[in-house]
Amino acid sequence: MASIGKITRRAFLIGATAITGGIAVGYYLYRRPYPNPLEDELAEGEATFNPYVKIAGDGAITVIAPRAEMGQGISTTLAALVAEELDVPLEAVTVEHGPASYAYYNSEMLAEGGPFPFWDESIMAETVRGAMGGVGKVLGLQGTGGSSSTRDGFDRMRQAGAAARQMLVAAAATSLGVAARDLATGDGRITHAASGRSVGYGDVAAAAAELDPPSEVVLKQRADWRILGKSQNRVDMRDKVTGAPIFGVDVVQPDMLFGTVRMSPRFWQKATRADLSKAQAMPGVVKVVPIDTTYGSGFGVIADNTWAAFRAAEAIEVEWGTAGYPADSAGMTARLKEALASPGGNSARDEGDVDTAFADAPGERLVEAEYEVPFLAHMCMEPMTATARLRDGVLDVWSPNQFPTMTRQLCADVAGIETDKVNVHTTSLGGGFGRRGEMDFSMYATALAREAGGRPVKVTWTREEDTRHDTYRPAAAGRFRARLGSDGSPEAVEMRIASPSVVAGILRRTFPSISPMGPDKSIVDGACNQPYTIPHYRVTGIEADLGVPVGFWRAVGNSFNGFFHECFMDEIAERGGTDPVELRRRLMKDYPAALAVVDKVATMSDWGSPLADGTAKGFAFTLSFGSWVGEVVQVSQSDAGLRIDKVWIAADVGTALDPGILEAQLVSGAIYGLSAAMGQEITFADGMVEQSNFHDHDAMRMHQCPAFEVAILENFHKMGGAGEIGTPPALPALANAVFALTGKRIRTLPLSKEVSFA
Amino acid sequence: MRLTVDGKQIEIDADPDMPLLWALRDLAGILGPKFGCGIAACGACTVLIDGSPVRSCVLPIGGVEGEIVTIEGLARDGTLSVVQQAWLDEQVAQCGYCQAGQIMSATALLDEIENPTDEDIDNAMSGNLCRCGTYPRIRAAIKRAAATKLARA
Amino acid sequence: MRRAILLTVTAMLLGGVAGAQEAAAPSTEAPAVDPAAGLAAWQDVYAVFSHPRCANCHVEDDHPRWSGAHYGETRIHAFNVMRGADGSGFGNPGLRCTTCHFDSNSNVLHGPPGAPGWHLAPVEMVWFGKSSPEICAQIKDPGRNGGRTISEVAEHVRDDALVGWGWAPGPGREPAPRSAEETFAALERWNAAGAPCPAE
Repeated sequence: MASIGKITRRAFLIGATAITGGIAVGYYLYRRPYPNPLEDELAEGEATFNPYVKIAGDGAITVIAPRAEMGQGISTTLAALVAEELDVPLEAVTVEHGPASYAYYNSEMLAEGGPFPFWDESIMAETVRGAMGGVGKVLGLQGTGGSSSTRDGFDRMRQAGAAARQMLVAAAATSLGVAARDLATGDGRITHAASGRSVGYGDVAAAAAELDPPSEVVLKQRADWRILGKSQNRVDMRDKVTGAPIFGVDVVQPDMLFGTVRMSPRFWQKATRADLSKAQAMPGVVKVVPIDTTYGSGFGVIADNTWAAFRAAEAIEVEWGTAGYPADSAGMTARLKEALASPGGNSARDEGDVDTAFADAPGERLVEAEYEVPFLAHMCMEPMTATARLRDGVLDVWSPNQFPTMTRQLCADVAGIETDKVNVHTTSLGGGFGRRGEMDFSMYATALAREAGGRPVKVTWTREEDTRHDTYRPAAAGRFRARLGSDGSPEAVEMRIASPSVVAGILRRTFPSISPMGPDKSIVDGACNQPYTIPHYRVTGIEADLGVPVGFWRAVGNSFNGFFHECFMDEIAERGGTDPVELRRRLMKDYPAALAVVDKVATMSDWGSPLADGTAKGFAFTLSFGSWVGEVVQVSQSDAGLRIDKVWIAADVGTALDPGILEAQLVSGAIYGLSAAMGQEITFADGMVEQSNFHDHDAMRMHQCPAFEVAILENFHKMGGAGEIGTPPALPALANAVFALTGKRIRTLPLSKEVSFA
Repeated sequence: MRLTVDGKQIEIDADPDMPLLWALRDLAGILGPKFGCGIAACGACTVLIDGSPVRSCVLPIGGVEGEIVTIEGLARDGTLSVVQQAWLDEQVAQCGYCQAGQIMSATALLDEIENPTDEDIDNAMSGNLCRCGTYPRIRAAIKRAAATKLARA
Repeated sequence: MRRAILLTVTAMLLGGVAGAQEAAAPSTEAPAVDPAAGLAAWQDVYAVFSHPRCANCHVEDDHPRWSGAHYGETRIHAFNVMRGADGSGFGNPGLRCTTCHFDSNSNVLHGPPGAPGWHLAPVEMVWFGKSSPEICAQIKDPGRNGGRTISEVAEHVRDDALVGWGWAPGPGREPAPRSAEETFAALERWNAAGAPCPAE
C-alpha cells in the first residue's frame, strides 16, 4: 500500500491536477448551492422541492434522474432511490433526464481519481477523495461515467425524496390541523390514522414547496426498504420493446433538415484540396459546409434526408493532410516498445525493494513476459448523432450524451454565444460505453446548425465515420517479471505499462489550452491497485503518445490492465506449480472481500473438478470502480472452433440496490470484454483506421454467447460501481482458459490472431 | 410510390434507390426501425415484409413489394404482441437500440418454428447485434414467448 | 418475399428435372477430341469456378465464405449464416439469405451483393477448397451437377442470373475472370474436345 510519505512527494493525478485552479478559486463556489433548474420550467400547477422532485396538483410525480441512460438502468435506480424515501411505488413516478445543470454535478466520478487503492481509508486518501469530489461539484460537472452514478446518487437522491416527503407531511399537518408526527405516508397519500382523514401529495404539493427544506432529513433503515434491494421493472422497458422514439436519432423538430459529416480520416489534419461541386449538386443537398473544431476538421452536408446527405458526403472529392504520427500499427507498436524500454515512468505502486529482489534472482525462479493490446472502438449500436438548432441567438442541442454541462459549454463556443443561451436536451443513448462522454457529435451538429438559417438539423454519422473517428481505447504494451519463492508464490513482481494518456487526449480536444501536469492514473488502473500482497511489488506507468485520439472505453485502464495483471498471475501460478485460484487465495488473504469473491466463484464453477476432454476453465479477478469481481470462463474445442460455454461471475458491490439490473450489467460487461478479447482490434495504415463497419470490427453474436451464472455479494462496507466492473476480468479469464485448453499463452489481443472461435 | 406499412398506406416521393429504412424514418416518420450500420450487418433496421425479416437499410424502396410490418405495428390496440410482452417480462433491453430489430427477427422465427431450440435461436438471431450483451435474456424471452403461444394454441 | 423464395426453389427443382430429361438426348455431332485444347479450355473454366465469387457459395459445409479486400483472409460468413436446417440453401427461419441479399447489389461499399434467388449451391456441388481435377469430375457427373449435360451446364452458366452475378459482383469485389459468355464458350470448347480432366 502506498505510504503517505510517497503520496505527498508525488504529483496528484492529472484528472485532478488539470483543474486544481478550480479548487483554488472555487471554495466560495463549493459552499454555494446551485439553483434549482426546475424552477424555470414548471408546468401549470406543478411544484418543485429540489432539483430532483416535481409534484403536480393532480398528484403526478416527476423524478429527475440526471444521468445518461445508456442501458445501465440508471434512470430506474435513481428514481427508485427517490421513490423509496418519498414513500410511493416506483410505478407512480415519471422519470425524466432533466436539463443540463450544474446542480446535477457528479461528485463521485472523480473521487477515485487519486493515487489510492479503493480499500485505502487513511486520512490522506479520504481527504483527497473529498477534494476530488469537490472538484466535480465546483465544476458543476454533470457527467455519467466511472460507474459512479449510483454511488453519487445513493445519499443525494434518497435525501431528495425524504426532504420532499417531510415537506409534504408538514404541509399536510397544517392543512389537517394535526401534528406532523401523527401522520403516516404511503402510496402518495398522507393519512391521519386517528381520524381517518387523509390528503393526497398533489393536494398539498404547492403549499409544501413553499416551506423551507428541512435542515435534517431522516433516511429509512435498510430493513425498511420496500423498493431498494429488490429487482424492479425498468422504467424505460416498455418504450424499448415498442420502438418508441427515445434516442438521439429519433429527434424530430418542426422544419427539420438532415445531415452528416465527413471528417479527416487522418487525425488533426485538414483538407489540402477539396472539390465540393459534385456533392453540392446532388439531389436533396441543401449545403456542404466546412467544419473545423478541436476534435477534427472536415465537411458537413445538410440535406433533405439522411440518405441524400450520406451520398453527398461520399461524393466530396478531397485530399487530406499527412499524419503527424506513426502511420501504421507496426510504427505505433514500435513506439510503445520504445517507451517501455526507456527508464523512468511513474510508479503508482512501489513496495519493498524491487530492484534488489531481482538483482540476484536465479533464472529458474524468474518469470518474464511481454503483453500488448490494440486500440479498440466503442461501436455503440446508435452511431454518433445530435440535432441542433441555432435561432435568434439561442442554441438548442438534442444530444444523446454523457456530459451535458460540458456539451453546453463547447457547443456555445462553436455557435459563438454564451452558455446561458444554450439548452441541452439529453435523449436516451443507444449505447455509450464512454464514447458519448465526448462532445464532437454535438459540436458538429452545432456547426451545421449555424449554416441552416435557423432550421434544426439532425446530424447522423455513417457507421464508417463512427468507426474511423472514435476516441479509441488506447493501445498498450507491458513488460512483466516475477521472482518466485520456493513455494511457487511470487516474492517480487514488477510491471511496466506503456500507453497513451486518456486524460491528455481529452484535454487536447476539449480544453487545448490546459496542459496535463502529472501522470495519468488510467495507464496503470487495474494493475497498481489490486488486492494482492506481494513483498516486493512495483507497477509503473509510462505515457506514450501515439497521436491517435483516445478516450474512455468501458472500464478504461482496467480494460487492459486487468488482462495484463491477471494473465501474468496465471503465468506465475503455472510456473510455480500452483493452482491459479489457490494462488489468489494465498495472495489475497489480507483482503477478505476479495477472498470471499474468489471462493464464491470457485464454488459456483466447481473449480478444480475434472472436466471433459477438450474443455478447460480460466480464472481472473479485478477490483475496479469499487467492486470486487471474480470470473471463471469455460471454453471447449468444437469442429467449428473454440466455444465459450459458460461464464461464472461473483461480484461484491457492497450494497446491491437492484439485483436484476446488476446481473444484467455484469453479464453485459463480461460480453463487452469477451467480444474484445475474441476478435476486436483497430489497426492503422497510412495514418488512417483500417476497419470501418461490423464486417471487420464485429462483436459477440447470439450463437457465440455463453450461459451465465452470477452471484452478487454485499460484504464490503463501501458501495461499488456496476456498469464497467464485469469487463476487466472477462478478457484474462478467457485468455487463461484458452491457455488451459490449448497450451497457447496468448499475450497479444485479440486472441483470434492465434486461435479461431466458432 | 405507395407502401403498406403497419396496415396503413403511405405515399413516398423519393428516388427508388433510397433504402426503405430512410424512407420510413426520414420521410414517413416511422422511427421504430433503427439505423445501425447501413450494410445489413447489425439487424437494427429489421422489418417484416410479408412475414419475412428484411434489413431495410439496404433494400431500395423501388424493389419493395408486399406488406411491411415494423416494430410499431406489432402491438394491437395498446396490447403488446406475445414477443414484446415476453421481452417486457424478461426485462431484456438495456440501451434498447437494437431491440426493435431483435423483436422482429424473433417474431419471424416464432412464426415458422413454434418451439425453437437453442440452435434454432442461434441460427435466427445471430444477424442481430447487441452491444449491451442482452443475448441471454433474449434467449429466455424467445422461449417464454414460445411457451405463451403454445399455451394459447 | 417469402413467395419469391418458394418460387425460386420450385424453379430450381423444375430446372433440375428438365435437365435430367434432356440428359438422355443423344449428341448429334461426333466429338473432336483434342485433349490439349480441352485442358486449356478447362483451365479457363476452372479459373472461374474456383474464383471466390463462385466458390464461396459452393461449399461442402453449411457456411458460405467471405473473402476480398477489407474482409481479411477467406473466412466463414459472419452472423452464423447457414445453409438452412432444411438443406435448401436459403438459410434458416429468422435469418434467410434473402433477409439481406436482394435482387440486385447494394451500391454501398460492403453492402450485401444481390441477385435473384440468392442461396447456397446444393451441397453436392462443392468447389470451395477443391482441386481442379475434383471440380472437373464433378461437373461431368450428372449426380453432382444438377442432372445436366455439359451443354446444359454451359447454358446454365451463361443464362442463370445468380451465376451471372459472379461477373458483376458490386462495389469493392473482384469479379470472376472474363465473362459469362466467354465461360460458356470455354465450356463448349472443353466439351467439344472430349471434356478432359487434368491429372492434378
